[in-house]
Parts: sequence; C-alpha cells; structure tokens
Amino acid sequence: MLTLLDQLDKGTLWRSPGGIHPPEVKFLSNATPIGQLPLASTYLVPVPQVGENCTLAVKVGDKVLKGTPLTQGTSIWHLPVHAPTSGTVVAIEPRASNHASALPVNTCVIAADGKDTWCELVPNQLDDLSHQQIVDKIRSAGIAGMGGAAFPTHIKLNPVSEIDLVIINGVECEPYISADDRLMREYSQDILAGIGIIHRLLAPKRIVIAIEDNKPEAAKAMQAAVNQCGLPAGSIRVTVIPTKYPSGGEKQLIQIITGREVPSGSIPAKLGIVVHNVGTAFAIHQAVTQGKPLVERVVTVTGKNVSKPGNYWLPIGTPVDHVLTATEFTPEAEQKVIIGGPMMGHALANIQVPILKGTNCILVPSSQEIGSAPEEKACIRCGECATACPALLLPQQLFWHAKAEEYDKAASYNLKDCIECGCCSYVCPSDIPLVEYYRIAKSALKQAADEKQQAERAKQRFDARLARLEEEKLAREAKAKEAAERRQATMTGTDKNAVAEAMARIAAKKAAAAQAATGGATIEQPATAELNATATDTTAAPKGKAAVAAAIARAKAKKAAQANTESTKTHSVETDSAQIDSSANVDETESATDVIAQEAPLSQKDKVAAAIARAKAKKAAQQTDTAPLEPTETADSTSELNAADDKKAKVAAAVARAKAKKAAQQAETNAENGLNQTATPAVDSKANVQADVNDDTEAAATDINDAEAIKKAKVAAAVARAKAKKIAAASAESKTDAEIESVDVIRAEANVASPSIAATLDTATTEADAVLPSQGSAAEPIETAQLSSEELKKARIAATIAKAKAKKAALAQEANASSDSSVTND
Amino acid sequence: MAFKIASSPHVTRNLHTSTVMQRVILCLLPGLVVQCAFFGWGTLVQVLLAILVALSCEAAVMKLRNRDIKTSLSDNSAMLTAILIGVAIPPLAPWWMIVMGTAFAIVIVKHLYGGLGHNLFNPAMAAYVLLLVSFPVQMTTWIAPSTVALHSPSLVESLQLIFNVGAHVNMEQFRLGIDGMTMATPLDTLKTDLSMGLTTTESLTKAIFDGSTGVGWFWVNLAYLAGGLVLLKLKAIRWHISTGVLLGLFVASSIGFLLSPDNQASPLLHLFSGATMLAAFFIATDPVTAATSPRGRIIFGALIGVLVYIIRTKGGYPDAFAFAVLLANLCAPFIDYYVRPRTYGHSTN
Repeated sequence: MLTLLDQLDKGTLWRSPGGIHPPEVKFLSNATPIGQLPLASTYLVPVPQVGENCTLAVKVGDKVLKGTPLTQGTSIWHLPVHAPTSGTVVAIEPRASNHASALPVNTCVIAADGKDTWCELVPNQLDDLSHQQIVDKIRSAGIAGMGGAAFPTHIKLNPVSEIDLVIINGVECEPYISADDRLMREYSQDILAGIGIIHRLLAPKRIVIAIEDNKPEAAKAMQAAVNQCGLPAGSIRVTVIPTKYPSGGEKQLIQIITGREVPSGSIPAKLGIVVHNVGTAFAIHQAVTQGKPLVERVVTVTGKNVSKPGNYWLPIGTPVDHVLTATEFTPEAEQKVIIGGPMMGHALANIQVPILKGTNCILVPSSQEIGSAPEEKACIRCGECATACPALLLPQQLFWHAKAEEYDKAASYNLKDCIECGCCSYVCPSDIPLVEYYRIAKSALKQAADEKQQAERAKQRFDARLARLEEEKLAREAKAKEAAERRQATMTGTDKNAVAEAMARIAAKKAAAAQAATGGATIEQPATAELNATATDTTAAPKGKAAVAAAIARAKAKKAAQANTESTKTHSVETDSAQIDSSANVDETESATDVIAQEAPLSQKDKVAAAIARAKAKKAAQQTDTAPLEPTETADSTSELNAADDKKAKVAAAVARAKAKKAAQQAETNAENGLNQTATPAVDSKANVQADVNDDTEAAATDINDAEAIKKAKVAAAVARAKAKKIAAASAESKTDAEIESVDVIRAEANVASPSIAATLDTATTEADAVLPSQGSAAEPIETAQLSSEELKKARIAATIAKAKAKKAALAQEANASSDSSVTND
Repeated sequence: MAFKIASSPHVTRNLHTSTVMQRVILCLLPGLVVQCAFFGWGTLVQVLLAILVALSCEAAVMKLRNRDIKTSLSDNSAMLTAILIGVAIPPLAPWWMIVMGTAFAIVIVKHLYGGLGHNLFNPAMAAYVLLLVSFPVQMTTWIAPSTVALHSPSLVESLQLIFNVGAHVNMEQFRLGIDGMTMATPLDTLKTDLSMGLTTTESLTKAIFDGSTGVGWFWVNLAYLAGGLVLLKLKAIRWHISTGVLLGLFVASSIGFLLSPDNQASPLLHLFSGATMLAAFFIATDPVTAATSPRGRIIFGALIGVLVYIIRTKGGYPDAFAFAVLLANLCAPFIDYYVRPRTYGHSTN
C-alpha cells in the first residue's frame, strides 16, 4: 500500500481499458449558477425510496413541514424519506415510478402550502458528536449516493474493514450533465466540510478528489478549498483525470486512480477503498452540521428543447412535468425525456413522476441532437465493441448468445460483469442495441436463478416434512415402548388373578365361539343375531363381539363412503350427520361400539364380516377341541388359542386397514367432488379404526396378542389420520369457506382420535403385559407366584414369535383383503 | 402526452457499416491506380465487371431471401468483395472467370452461409482459390509490368483479350519482357529458378527484378501499404491483424533467409511481392471471418503470415495469401474460444 500511496501522492494515473469520447454538450447547462424553480403544487414522494422495510410515519390528511420524516424503520437498510416542502398529505397510493418500467410504487402525495416552512432544525457542533452519532445523523437525514445509484451512505460510512483510500467522485463523465460541476464550483467549501466528516469517520490514509479535465473551474475551486481546509496536509489532493466515458464509474475510477481492479462480485471496500460522490459529501455536511435532511438536490435540466437549461435546486419529489414546464419545455413529435445522461439514462413514457435522490439530470433533446435509433443490422464482428468495453468483455460474443437466447453461454462470457455503460452500443457500426440485449439476458438469468432457488426451497420443505413425519412415528413408537416398560416394572403378584381370569375368559370364549360356529354356518342373519346375543350376554366373549362391532363399523364406513361418492349436495347433509355419528363413536368407547353393534343395519357386508368372525370362532373352537383337556396342558391350548385369536384380530385389523385405505383412496379420488363428500369417508374410516381399537382394547383384557392388533390399529389410525390430513390439505386449496370449516372439523376429530388411540394403546399394553406372564404361569401353574425373570424373558420371546407369526399372517391376509369371501374360506 | 421510450444509450457514434466499407474501398484506390499503371487497363476492367456481377448477385439473393435489396446493396460489402477479386486475378483473365468467381463469392460463400456477418470464409479469397484450383494456367498468367514489357496492352486490346474477341490479339505477346523472355510474376520466377538450381542472387538479376524486389510489384505493394495506413488512421480497421500478418511473414522469412540466404527470398521480397500488402490491410482484416478479440487478432494475423511463408517456400503455388487466409479463417472460431480477454475484476487464469 505504501508504494500505492506514493504514487497517489505523485498523481500517477493508470489506464482504464476501453471507453469512448461522445460529444460532451455540457456547455448547455454549465454556464449559469445553480438556480431555483417556483414551488410545485404537489410533490410525489415514493415511500420507501431506498431500502425495503419501513412503516409510514404519516397518514392522509396530516400536515407536514419541510423535512418531516415520512417513514420510519428499524432495519439497517432503512433510509427515511422526508417531506420536501410544507403542506398536507393528500394521498398515499401507488403512482407511476421514475423508472424505465414506470411500474406504480407507493407514493406519498403532498399538496404544498406554498410556505415551504422548515421543521425544527438542530445544528450540531461536529466536535461534540461521536462517530455513531454522526452515522445516525447521516442515516436519519436519508442520505443516499447522489451519483445515481442511490446506495445508502451510512452503510458505506460504516465499513467492516479498514479504509485506506477515499475517492471523492467529481468526474461526472456522462455527457450533458453538469450538476456536480456547478456544485463543486459554487459549494466547494461545503463539500470539503463534508469530506472532513467522511475523513473523521473512516480515517483513511488518503483522500483523492477526482475531477475530469473538462471541468477546470471545478478543479480549481476544489483545489482552493483543499488548500484552506483543516485536514492534515498531504492526506488530501485533487487529481485531474483525462476526459473519457465512463471514467466516473466506480470501478473504472478506482482503476484509473489506483491501478487496481475491484474483484468481480465484490465491493471496493475489499480493497480498502470507498468512493463517494461530491453531492453526497455536500449532503453529509448539510445533515451533520446543520441538521438538514436530504430534501433537495442539484439537477441538470438540459437539452435543446428547454429554453432555460441549467442546474436547479429541486426538492426530491418534484414532478418532472413541473420542472419541464418551469424551464419552458417545448416538446416535439417523438420527444424523448431522459432521466440521467444520454449514455445510461432511462427514457420516461410518463412525466408525472418525481425527482428522486439519485436523479441528476433531465434531458430533453431535440431530434437533431439525439435521433431515434436506426434499424439494427447484421453484426459484422468488427470488434469495435470489444475495444470500447471498459470491462474487457467480448460484447459481440455476448450479443451472439443473448440473441440466440443461450443465456448460460452468455453468462460464461461474464455477462454479469457488464456495467451497462453503453460504450458497445455507442460504437456499434451496425446500430445493434447491445445493452438492451444484455439487460434482457440478465433478467432472464435472474429469473432462472430465482426459479431454481424456489424449487430448492420447495424440495427442502418436502424433505423436512418427510423427516418430521418419520420423527413423529419414531416418537410414538418410543413412547409406546416406554409405557410398556413402565408397566412391566410396576407389575405385582396379583397377576395370578389376571391369569386365572384370562383362562376363564378363554374358556368362555371357546364355548361362545363353538356356539357361533354351529349356529350360523349356513343361515347368516340369525347367526349374526346370535353373535349379537353373545356379545351382549357373554362378557367372556369380547373378541367375537368386537369383531362384529368392527365389521359393522366398517360396513357403515363403506356405506357412507359409497353414499358420498354418489351424493349430491343434499346428500352431503346426511353424510354430515353420519360424520357426527362417527364422531360420537370416537368420543365414546366400549358402549358406543356396543350400540353400533346392536343398532347398525345388517347389510351384506355385515353378514360377510359376521361370517368371517364365525369362521374364526370355528377355527378357534377346532383348535380347542383338538387340545387335550388336562389342566396341565391348558396353557398350551391357551397359547394356541391366543395365536388363533391373534390371527383373527390381525385379520380384522387388516380388513379394517384395507377398508380405511380404500375409503381414503376413494376420498382422494373424489376430492374434486366436494369436501364433505370426500372428508366423510376418511372420518368414517377413522371411526372404523377407532372402533377396532376400542374392541381390541376389550379383547386385550383376555388376550395378550391384542396388543399387536392395537398396534396395527394404531398404524391404521395413523394412516387414516395422514389421509385425513392430506384431504384437509387438498381441500385447503378449494374455494368456499364452508369447506374449509369442515376441514377444521376433520382436523379436530383427528386430534381427538389420536390421544384416544394413544390412551387405548396404553391400556392395551398394560393389559397385554399383565397377561404376558400368564403364559409362563400356565406352563407351570404351581409356581405362578414366583415368576423368575428368565421365565418372563421366555414368555416374551414366545410372544415375540407369536407376534412375528401374526404379522406374517397379516401380510398374507392383506394380500387377500380385497375379497372377504377368501377370508371366510380360510 | 406520451413520450418516446428507448433503451440506453440514446446516442451512437454514427459510424455505420456502410461508411466503414466505403472507407476501405476508397483506401484501395491508390493501389488500384498503381496496379493499372504497371499492368494496364485489364485490372480496372476486371474490377468493374466484378462489381457489376456482385451487385446483381447480391440483389438477386436478397430478392430470393425476401430481404430489403437497397439496405443490403448500400452496405457496400458486396462491392468491396468484388473489388478485391478484381485486383487479385490476372488483369487479362477471360471474363467468365471473374463472373464465375464473383458469383461464387457472393451467392455461395457469403449468402448460403447466412449473409453478411455470418460467412465462415473470406468470400474474395474463396473465389480466388476456386479459380486458382480450377484454372491454374489462366490464374498464373500475369503479363509483364509495363516498364519492362515489349508491348503493353491498350484498353481496346485488354477488352478484346478479356472478352475473347478479335483474333489478332495474343496473350503471349504481352507476357514478353524486354529481354524477349516470357515473364512470370517475381515470386513465380524465383520459385522456378530455385527449383532449377539457381541461387537467389542469380535469380534476382533477371529483368523482372529490380535489384531486390520485383519490378512494379514493389510500387503496387507500397500503394496498398499507404492505403492501409490511411485505413488505420481512419480507424476503419484496427492494427492487430495487419501487424500480425506482416510480423509473422517477416519473422518467418527472416529466419529462413538467415538460415539459407542462397535459396530463400529475402524478407523484403516477401513483404513487397505478390499480394502481401493488399492482403495484410484489406483482405485479412475482413472482420467477419477473423478472430474477434484484440489478442486473438494478432494471433490470427501472425498465423496468416507464417502460413504464407510456408506455402510460398514449400507449396506448389507461387503466392499463398488466399490459402493462408482461408486456413486462418478455419482457425478463427478456435482462436476466439481460447483467446478471451481477462474481464475486469477477474483473476488472470
């Protein structure tokens, strides 16, 4: 850096590649002092102007004074906007923006009262302020880069890295514009005061004020001011650079002054360099020492079609048409109104737009000065553009790919490093609007990048959801396991009774099953009645009862589903009531299933279900029959019976699952038909599952293996829940509120269902555990009181094997689940 | 009122393709005049004939392509191609050769490849090569420069020869030098002499040579050089390609000459013989078929220079620019791909 400093002190200049020398035409506007224009009747202040997040500090009807902040915000990027004159806020609404697109932006419309009264200004003594206070004042004054880019100045004054060199940009290389020129000539002292503040904040080793050699008066004035200022000698100098467009570009100026290049995609601060515009330095001085917010700036109004070209102090928010009227603008056919210079400025379609903080020029040229663009001709690859490009790009290659819409190839030629200075278009002998092609290519690339990012985000969301579901599943399993362990730990010797009870129940069941088998082999309806009877009469045969109940619940669910698929809107009322019914089922427990068992109409499905139950019972009975009747061997038969029961339960659960699945599928396919129609099957299937679970809970009191069934039922319930959720999600997209409400109902039910299932599971597990040792005790009835841990273990292994078997059978069953008859034939 | 909107920049330099081409054509004139002075009216006749054919072909193709004929003709590119073919072929070559060559250049080499800006090969040189390989005798039959010729053709004689009317005019009589020998071009003469075992010095004593360079050819080259320098000054062309060509040829021929001065032409002879200056400033600089980046253009030019030297020394043809330019045209996309300037803010690799 030391050698660089030496060279800076010597005034060494480096060559910036490319560049052009367009006609300057600054004489139109730079001869007269900066003037004032009469106040406009209304001012249009876009809110926010720089930065994104802000809240309005005023509302329609508020009286404001010149300098009253219109916005407030807390974000570091927030930059307040201030009322440019005193008056009333008459509207806050979208108005056309001062942008090539003219897209409407939120604008605060202020009707001027003509008094132009300042709000209370607090002048400061610079020495009394801390650095932070100064930066805060600059920020609250709303100062943004005045060179055109309007980057918030307080951020550049608060860099993370150390700043060695500050370049004050008075180059003003764009043709026609002379705002900085006049400002430097007339306010050099104030600019130097502002530079002094920058010096204090950043403490750079050197400050270089760069001015093009076509502004000798400005350079002289600045040199004089530098000689008088109190900054340390040798730390600040005025450097006159050769006139060439675009020397005033930040990157180009840094290259000319220091010979270094700002790395692509980086900022000058990385090199320890900060560039500020002279206008910004002036505004900093105004803000810090006088407390004046940034409410006006110097704007060049020029071109052959205004009678009074020159520089004017214009309040920010002044409509362009007011400015042009006041400077006696005479439009011609196909008139261009350009904001900024002829090289980089944008043409306005609508001049009812405001002057902004970065607006430095309004150019209204005659058609002799700036004609309409000639027709584009074929590129002859002359390479003039490459010679003119200050970024050392190959513009004709970029054009080639941009025109062919091969944007990725254009990107590979470093399209993003294009500064859109317009040199290539300027020199093109074929009149190709190269910069326009690059802008289109850039926005296409940006859009593609945005879309890619969105897709990426969607994928992340999806993955997160999958992970969450998996986690929930694991958590549920872990919880169940924990509960099981807890219960096992708290187990007592009274289990003997449980075993005895269980044995009694099994005996009763056997009897009941045998009865059912003999009673209803051929005539189905009476058999069901019988079953019902057993269900009510015999407390020892909960399994059969449960099966019937489950079957009925299933049938009901299916019926409801079928009804729903065919139903019209009037039907949906009915299904609603069905929904309520099933909700009731969810809420109630054993008794509810009983009620269903007795009340549900016996349809074909019920009969089939009953038949299944019968078949199962028969099988169980057969098994019991084959088993020897000796008491010592009861245990074996018990376990066998248990296995059979297990199978049965599994079959029931599998059928229930299949049903639930079917119903859910139906619900899905019918999703278009209306929410009520689709949602109900899901709810019903849930109820169905619930019923199964409840039944199984009962059964679990007698049967160890019902825990398994519960588990499965739980899974089925979870599936149903998931389905319900899915439907809810699907319906969330549907239009009517009513539908959305019903989704909420379903959600609520799903919520109701899940705890109850959990509770059921808990009970089931407890009971299952309670029954567990009974196997061991049955094997050795005499020593049941002294259950060794080894026996427990054995029992558990046996149970696990049984479970595995059950699972296998269940799988097989599932394969056959589509036809109920196949189950019956089993 | 609604105002006219347009994308920036709103100003252009107003140096259009047609102007650039016009300047190139104007800068060709000194060379053309000198060439006519040494080799008679034939060259002028050929040029005019070529222009006529080129413009007709251009208009016909534009009509077929449903494009605007006037815009296309006014860009002057067809005319430039025609003039280049006209000055390149022997002054008294029969008319059908220039017609065929020019039509080939415009219709096939230029427009079948997409028209202005899209052609892969330099149209004038492609046409020249077509004629050279198809009609080698006619294409190598140059007449003796007027200062050393027994007879120089008058305008009428030139027309008679070109259009093949009037039986009493014979091509051979204009090829006789003052020594009564049939004259070839200096490069051709040297090549033949060297192959016959003569040394360079011995060959240079012949009448076609003026001490160290060919009679007439030196001045023709000098005139094209002057025109080229004006072009550079006008910024109608950039220095990279021309410098590359001349440097490449100079360096290659210097090395050859230093290694064996007895059977190699001197660098001076190479630089001021044949089509060297014409090609270096007016043919190789055709932007459409050249490399695009400044560095790439230097490489492109140097490639032409070296190729010219190799073909002149080792090849079967006495002059080599047409082949060298076409070969370099082939390499241009490759050069462009690998020689890209380092973009601002990017590291060197």
